[in-house]
Amino acid sequence: MQGFAEKAVVVFSWIMTILLCLFVFLFIGYLLIQGLPSLGRELIFGQADPLQALLGRARVFDGIFPAIVGTLCLVELSATLAVPVGVCSGIYLAEYAGPGMKKLSGMFFDILAGIPSIVIGLFGFSLAVFLHNHFDDRIGPCLLISSLSLAILVLPYIVRSTQISLEELSPGIRRTGLALGANKLQNITYVLIPNALSGISSGIILAVGRCAEDTAVMLLTGVVATAGVPSSLLSQYEALPFYIYYISNQYTNPEELAGGYGASLILLGVCAFLFMLAYGMKKHLSYWTLYRA
Amino acid sequence: MLIKTKDKIIVNGVSFFYGRNQVLDNIHASFAEGAITAITGPSGQGKSTLLGLFNCMWDEIPGARCTGTIRIRLGDMWVSPLKKDIPMPLLRRKVAMIFQEPNPLPMSIAGNMAFPLKLAGVRDKSFIEEKVQKALAQAFLWEEVKDRLEKSALDLSGGQKQRLCIARALVLEPEVLLCDEPTSSLDKKAAGIIEDFLVSLKAKCTLLVVSHYMDQMRRIADKVMLLQDQGLSQI
Repeated sequence: MQGFAEKAVVVFSWIMTILLCLFVFLFIGYLLIQGLPSLGRELIFGQADPLQALLGRARVFDGIFPAIVGTLCLVELSATLAVPVGVCSGIYLAEYAGPGMKKLSGMFFDILAGIPSIVIGLFGFSLAVFLHNHFDDRIGPCLLISSLSLAILVLPYIVRSTQISLEELSPGIRRTGLALGANKLQNITYVLIPNALSGISSGIILAVGRCAEDTAVMLLTGVVATAGVPSSLLSQYEALPFYIYYISNQYTNPEELAGGYGASLILLGVCAFLFMLAYGMKKHLSYWTLYRA
Repeated sequence: MLIKTKDKIIVNGVSFFYGRNQVLDNIHASFAEGAITAITGPSGQGKSTLLGLFNCMWDEIPGARCTGTIRIRLGDMWVSPLKKDIPMPLLRRKVAMIFQEPNPLPMSIAGNMAFPLKLAGVRDKSFIEEKVQKALAQAFLWEEVKDRLEKSALDLSGGQKQRLCIARALVLEPEVLLCDEPTSSLDKKAAGIIEDFLVSLKAKCTLLVVSHYMDQMRRIADKVMLLQDQGLSQI
């Protein structure tokens, strides 16, 4: 009977895994079929000359180039704001905080992780209005406010993944550096973080993915349909997720909708590029921190 | 307790608690310089805990508390680790420790060996190379690894890893070496090499070895002590 139950669990798990893989295969296949025909120079640059657009000498009005640049700027800025704060908070919670502080801040970050992104977007919008009214009327919903809101949105992932990765290290690794005469900071820097880097990077990669796709936050904090390539941190911007949302709601002919599928493929490509970049950085960082200690 | 000149470590009335659980009760002992003292006893009696008191590794355990006095002679100076009258990193460089499971860091063999020296602020490459070679030779490991110093230390065999860890501890020329069951995860042949290695170290430092193997203790130890029912006695 026990053997039968075990076999049933194995078969069920196998079927579920196959179904999941099949779903991903069908999903990407569908996107490719719908989006590939529209992929091309015209979708990205419209009527503008690609070289001139890339050099910033020509504005792209009817392509998604500004949205690609806007998405990359948004992700980079959000990650720049969120990663140092998140990683440092995670290190503090894992290595320095007392049990009470750990419990309290753990609860705080769990609540933050559970806040819907539209609420974070509303907070970003309110912040923009507050800054506009009280500090400088040039400030409004913009790239900086979007990035700040997205950074807040992804902070819990980075904090928690850093904290858990450090806490899960075995006592053996934990005491190796100390027994060799490392002080606490040296042990954290040269032994614990390099050994936890894989888990920390996973949190960062997850955060980067979330920054690239969260439309709700962007909607309220500065994204518009036609803004061109962002000229400053305080300018409005275009982003691929918003372009896809906008096209799928407002398309007037099948060609426009196909353009939305094409943009989806490009967004997937951008995410894949960012993941590979994060993976490459992780690999080189691992080498640097582990082998060059 | 009368301090003899050859004593390296004096333990006086030491008790140790994990929260409300008392592990050691009023321990008195002395450990001679340049000798191997083996500590044995049933599992869970606090042998590793006792060993960790000498270089304050217990300090890292939340809820741990220790009373009494431990005095260690480092050079011409007596220090009291429990009173923290010496910086912990400095104490741990002079009172080194090796563990039951070999724990090389995930870096090259040379990187592992140079690591404690770099932590201590040594930057002179030729000095580091000289120290690394000397320590590896002491551990009978130089001939085996000299052509692959830049290869990962994780690819070594179990016995080689443990010898690397001992050599890594020796690179700082400690005065006391604490060994927590250093051969328990090794086969007989590798354990034999480690035993010979430990005996060869007697001339350079004082060794405290926790072991479960009576025959091993008879082979290598100058003195055997039994830790049982929270107390330590010589056998």
